[in-house]
Amino acid sequence: MDITLFSPKGTHSHHFFSLSNQQLQQSNGDQIALDMQTNNNNNIQPQNSCHTSTSRSSDSGEPCADTTGGNKWASKLLKECARAISDKDSSKIHHLLWMLNELASPYGDCDQKLASYFLQALFCKATESGQRCYKTLTSVAEKSHSFDSARKLILKFQEVSPWTTFGHVASNGAILEALDGETKLHIIDMSNTLCTQWPTLLEALATRNDETPHLKLTVVVTVSLVRLVMKEIGQRMEKFARLMGVPFEFKVITGLNRLVELTKETLGVKEDEAVAVNCIGALRRVAVEERGAVIQMFQSLKPKVVTIVEEEADLTSSRYDFVKCFEECLRFYTLYFEMLEESFVPTSNERLMLERECSRDIVRVLACDDDNNSSNNGNGDREEEECERRERGSQWAEKLKEAAFSPVGFSDDVVDDVKALLKRYRAGWGLVLPQGDDNTSGIYLTWKEEPVVWASAWKP
Amino acid sequence: MLDKMPEDTIPNGFVQNSVIAGSNNPPNTAAKKKRNLPGTPDPEAEVIALSPKTLMATNRFLCEICGKGFQRDQNLQLHRRGHNLPWKLKQRTSKEVRKRVYVCPEKTCVHHHPSRALGDLTGIKKHFCRKHGEKKWKCEKCSKRYAVQSDWKAHSKTCGTREYKCDCGTVFSRRDSFITHRAFCDALAEETARVNAASSMNSLANGSISYHFMGTPLGPSVAQHFSSIFKPIPGGGADETIDQTRQGLSLWMAPGSQGHETVGSNLTEIQQLGSVSSEAMYGDHPPPSDYHFNWVFGNNKQSSNNAAEAPAIVSASLPFTDVKEAAATASHHHQLVSVNVPSLYSSQQQQTTTHQTQAAAAAANMSATALLQKAAQIGSASTDPSLFLGSLGFKCSSNINQVQDGNKYCGLMYCSNAITDRHLGNDVEISSASDISSLSQLQMPPPAKRRHLQSDRQAESAGGQTRDFLGVGVQAISCHPSSINGWI
Repeated sequence: MDITLFSPKGTHSHHFFSLSNQQLQQSNGDQIALDMQTNNNNNIQPQNSCHTSTSRSSDSGEPCADTTGGNKWASKLLKECARAISDKDSSKIHHLLWMLNELASPYGDCDQKLASYFLQALFCKATESGQRCYKTLTSVAEKSHSFDSARKLILKFQEVSPWTTFGHVASNGAILEALDGETKLHIIDMSNTLCTQWPTLLEALATRNDETPHLKLTVVVTVSLVRLVMKEIGQRMEKFARLMGVPFEFKVITGLNRLVELTKETLGVKEDEAVAVNCIGALRRVAVEERGAVIQMFQSLKPKVVTIVEEEADLTSSRYDFVKCFEECLRFYTLYFEMLEESFVPTSNERLMLERECSRDIVRVLACDDDNNSSNNGNGDREEEECERRERGSQWAEKLKEAAFSPVGFSDDVVDDVKALLKRYRAGWGLVLPQGDDNTSGIYLTWKEEPVVWASAWKP
Repeated sequence: MLDKMPEDTIPNGFVQNSVIAGSNNPPNTAAKKKRNLPGTPDPEAEVIALSPKTLMATNRFLCEICGKGFQRDQNLQLHRRGHNLPWKLKQRTSKEVRKRVYVCPEKTCVHHHPSRALGDLTGIKKHFCRKHGEKKWKCEKCSKRYAVQSDWKAHSKTCGTREYKCDCGTVFSRRDSFITHRAFCDALAEETARVNAASSMNSLANGSISYHFMGTPLGPSVAQHFSSIFKPIPGGGADETIDQTRQGLSLWMAPGSQGHETVGSNLTEIQQLGSVSSEAMYGDHPPPSDYHFNWVFGNNKQSSNNAAEAPAIVSASLPFTDVKEAAATASHHHQLVSVNVPSLYSSQQQQTTTHQTQAAAAAANMSATALLQKAAQIGSASTDPSLFLGSLGFKCSSNINQVQDGNKYCGLMYCSNAITDRHLGNDVEISSASDISSLSQLQMPPPAKRRHLQSDRQAESAGGQTRDFLGVGVQAISCHPSSINGWI
């Protein structure tokens, strides 16, 4: 199979490329030998690493948390490849992609998985087939997606890792405190965690007050996969609220392409309601240019509190610099994959699903540039969802401050709750509180000392 | 009028026995010497109002030599001996001691008024601290805060050991994941579709509100207020340890209905002073007609509720009149007991072997009469009912201490089994099947009739006891392995 780089290719966007051995030997034979030697010192050869084989084997069972930098062959190869792509060094790209292809496996250990998924993205980038690849991956995922599978996935994830529950607990705490004493609550939920945040809030509303307030929950869905299951989720929420004895109203807003289009009217916000805006991982899905406007829109809803939870990575400021963006993306997802590996059992299907979800995100961030949008699509349709470009907490904080929001610190009780939450999980998780510096408003969840999730609360 | 009955000196001022008319008499009416409900003092008692400072003071009696503080004068005197100081131990005065009751200094408090004074100094101290004091003690595991150290200690013992089990059989060690799971569980979906009875639960916040719902059969619109139940028991260190699982809905089908099984309801376990929380367990598993609203909860919020207030009373209303009666009787009896009593019914009419299901153990407090009534009614309506009912009922009512310990044991046993299997801090999903199978081994049901009879006998003999448990469910059985042998 012959691949020429840097031109659109119609047929095999999502296959990893493979070169016939002859081709390789003819063109790159010498080079390979050379490379192997020079790269020896860098431990590129997998035989030198802690991993047991180069082929696609099942995982070695060892967590790849060797963050000392010694044996991370995947990271090195991937970065080199990214550089090669950026430099448009055809033969090098070819060679590295081939190597990665040989070594990678989505069923292997951490390095192999990272190699596999990033290879896919790099390939798409090199062949400018990112959109197509992404679409294919998404449609495959949608086929096997159901309420049951989604529910099982997220509940399992929450059971083994505080990645999402951290934000939930912090936000719920802030919301409950800000809306304490109110009788009509309206929470605008912009998140994609399938409403798993709300049962504990409902329980708290039911039990901690003498008078249970009325809660209206309006969910704004931005991810298509989530949209499919919202109906069922809504029913469950309603039943659960009934069970709890909380007067409850549930509404889902879909069919909305851009968050910025929301208004008070479309959300159904009434004058006498106490509004809380809860944004979990939603801001990063907003187009970069529109983020300020969306935050302004929050102001227009006159909320009592706005809770923002985002993952700590900066894929925005480097979006025009492929290599930097790539490196940051790799850094973040390495942490994430390692976390997944250590949290789940080795044979977990849920982990595999989550990793696949990441693979789609990775392809989208790295290979679906705005420039390519129109050229590949042909008809210039806007993507339903914007590229997920994360930003760090401090960056979001700046934007929020610009929109005249001021940070609300989490109270001691909430911090205690978060600490108690983290204690219930395996070791490795930590909490970083703001040091009193203005920029660091919000609290961070850390995994092996690295901040990974940022949670904050704001008032207008 | 009962007069001149020797006054029981119960330092706790806690009512263990059934009380006769114990209501609010103004302090000056004629003597009725008997033990009173907490907060309803003996009218002839001397009312003492201490200041907040005095109440909070822990060591008021100071040694002049070394400055060491003691809570009581007697202790100080004994200490003074060590300094070779003259000491004197005051004897209890021979004349009749007037009973003392104490009022809370906080004006807004219900116990500020003499008619609601508390009979015990320790009790009033704890009440004041809990209700009006600063919460200085914090649980490490779950970050709950407590004002009274003994509350905190008691909580710490049980924190994290509590197990929550969903209808679908999954077990959780963490309350939050249990709640989240519950909201999405299929069992919930099925059940709310057929809810037709209400359970009442105590409101957490006050600790003393009981909701009484009447559900319409087949109507899914019953709203239940859900809260943990706690039962505040003032005095004697009993405080915080009362855990009760809440009683959920009991779903009942009309007795005549074909092929329907009645579903057990959640049982609330009453926890004894000092005992570890136990939970209501239920098995699941059911043929589709079975559904439940079983909900077990811990006593997380207990501490914030005043221990000294009147116990919350739970009563469940059920569509069947006879059941209701039993329930009413049960709740009435319990009214005076400082325990929450859910009238709990679990009648299992399951054809399958799942007698372990439902019926969570020992939760309901039911008088012997109610128990019998229920057993009779169930016996007539079902095929294999009393097996369970009877056996557990018996067990539980025969010996309160045993039961209580049993509950504790059960809870612990259950918990500890689960805990050992668990990853640190992670929930364990124990398959319901394995639970049931392991438990069923313990249970070896003997013929239903025999048990039923036995239970009746035992239940009757247990009449004098204040707490009758309708112990139904696996837990009780498994709690008494020796008894099981006896049974079987």
